[in-house]
Amino acid sequence: MGVSLSNSRWRSVATTTAVALTLLLGAAAGCDSQREPELPSVQEKLRESHIWGQPVLRIGVADDEPLMGEVRNGVHVGFDVEIARYIAASLGYEGEHRVEFVNVSTEDRIPALQGGVVDLVVSSFSITEDRKKQVSFAGPYFVTTQEVLVPNRHRAAIRTIEDLRNPEYKICTSGGSTTEAELEKHQVSTLVVKDVWDCVKGIRAGKYDAVSSDETILAGFVARHPTEFEIVDMPFGTSELLGVGVPIGDPALRDLVAYFLDKSYQQGRNGEASPWQTAYNRTLGPWLRAEKRQPQPLDVPKLVDFDDKAPQR
Amino acid sequence: MSTAPATTSGGSDAGRPPPSVPRTAVPPTATPPTVTPAGSTPPAEQLVPASVSTPARGDSGWDPAERRARASQSFWTAVVGVPAIFSVLRLGIEAGGELQTTLLLVANVGPVNLLAGFLTTAARLLSTVLVAVFALGGVLVASGHRLARRPLFARWTEITPGWFVAASFLMALVTWPMLYLPLLLPAFAAAFQLRPERLHERPAVRALIVVAAYAGYLWLLVPTLRDAWRQAEALPIVLLVVPPLLALFVAGPLPRMVIRPLAPVTQLAVLVVLVWAALPVISTPVLPLTVTTVGEPGATAAGATEEIRGHVVTTDDVNMVILQERGGVRYVPVDQVRGQVLCPSEEELPRYRLRIHDFHVEDSLLEGLGRRVRPVHRVDAACR
Repeated sequence: MGVSLSNSRWRSVATTTAVALTLLLGAAAGCDSQREPELPSVQEKLRESHIWGQPVLRIGVADDEPLMGEVRNGVHVGFDVEIARYIAASLGYEGEHRVEFVNVSTEDRIPALQGGVVDLVVSSFSITEDRKKQVSFAGPYFVTTQEVLVPNRHRAAIRTIEDLRNPEYKICTSGGSTTEAELEKHQVSTLVVKDVWDCVKGIRAGKYDAVSSDETILAGFVARHPTEFEIVDMPFGTSELLGVGVPIGDPALRDLVAYFLDKSYQQGRNGEASPWQTAYNRTLGPWLRAEKRQPQPLDVPKLVDFDDKAPQR
Repeated sequence: MSTAPATTSGGSDAGRPPPSVPRTAVPPTATPPTVTPAGSTPPAEQLVPASVSTPARGDSGWDPAERRARASQSFWTAVVGVPAIFSVLRLGIEAGGELQTTLLLVANVGPVNLLAGFLTTAARLLSTVLVAVFALGGVLVASGHRLARRPLFARWTEITPGWFVAASFLMALVTWPMLYLPLLLPAFAAAFQLRPERLHERPAVRALIVVAAYAGYLWLLVPTLRDAWRQAEALPIVLLVVPPLLALFVAGPLPRMVIRPLAPVTQLAVLVVLVWAALPVISTPVLPLTVTTVGEPGATAAGATEEIRGHVVTTDDVNMVILQERGGVRYVPVDQVRGQVLCPSEEELPRYRLRIHDFHVEDSLLEGLGRRVRPVHRVDAACR
């Protein structure tokens, strides 16, 4: 009798506790379902950024780097341009009338961002510690190396960094580029011009003997003049991380660009056709000696977006 | 609901004590002695719940068939009428409180579309309320003999057919976010007063079944729980792990000192929650959100086009009528429409980054299955 009473009391207490906890959890779930999301959303970041409400997005690109950024029949084409279009479309700017491509030379990239002439720069912009003090970077979206482009007349003579130091050869590079600093580090005296295109024109005119720059840019000139030039692989030892330049005062826009680059990266990792891969295949892919993949972007913020609930597999 | 057919739910009360006292105890307090003599014979016992459900008409003296017919009529009137009234209220809110805009919407939104739209957005709320009522009703029925007057939810649960209760749970199963689905287990056990004793006669086998089922359940959730732990999300862990355990103990009578305050408090709470949760449902748009690009024919510059964010009310040969998101109605000549895209609203943004085997925890089973059928959903640039 005593055992049955204590059993029934225990049962009664257990039932009461269970009912109370169920009600509590139900209430917690109810409150939770009405709660605002804690994670910042893409829309919120967009509202914080300086481009919010702007009818047109201005993007700085190169107009003289074949395969990366050039103007063909009045239309901007190239890998950088395709990446720029993807970012613009992700930010809500789709179609030619919503995106304005502004031609920026290598040395004008930082002033253009600082002066508000452009909202973004996607123009073979290497991420460096020095530049990070002046502009923000999202990315990298490409990893390249520094190489040397030589005309056929010198293809046997210029093979090493030592050959570049030979005062007989005039080595050309573009001003304000990471290549300029790198060559200086290797005690290679250079002739600095505005753009790599000027170097190539100079070589064809017999004014210079070689040009050093990113492999991606040089591959473009090989693509343009396949019978005249060759890329020589030299051990400069540094890799160039290309990033998207964003005004330093707009961290929200930097976060958004990093988020969308990462989205493309994740798509590629899952084996889907990513915007990056499409851009690569259409432009650089056939001209680079080794197959490249999209590098993982750094400092990607955790944002929520409308398509987060879509299946990932 | 109170006027639903006067049928006692068969099988739902298997685990509770015999309700001999309460069924006869209620009518005298509600109605004067003119009521059909209750309590002594089985036929009278059949009538009492009906008179309980409609205490105001308890002395009418209708025969049971007539009463059932009227109750059924009232029930279906409510089923059709409540959504209709809600839908019209929603139109008023959608129109921004403007009479003329409301009339424009009334003239252009078909009743079937309106009703379907209402059910789409309100199914979750409706099933939640029904599940809450039946679960609480089950608990109150089991302990009701300890009260002088049977609580409302207990009476509702008693007169509601079992299939309707089961259907409510089924609706909740397919419309609730997966994160909250485990709560259905204790609710189901409470509504039908299911105890673990039902599983097997021998306690050892019973324990084995329970432990195996729970271990399997946890094994299914391990990746989700791990992610939640990493993201320091405590509530999802509790909501996924605890409810199945509660289901083991939730059935059974409650002590009198608990049941007495529980009945009025929970009933009031359900009512308050209904109102609180109904507000977002009423203000959910009736028409889908779109962005329409408008511009003069032939214009190419960005400045020459305009993007109107809003809901398309109707389109005819001359105009497209758009109810703008920020208010006001725009009549856009059809030949100026350059493009139109469907956009998600910010209420659809997820709160968690958790998945149960690639189903997002905030998706219902229906939504999750839908996303398997059409997995890729790209937000159009114009929606930003």
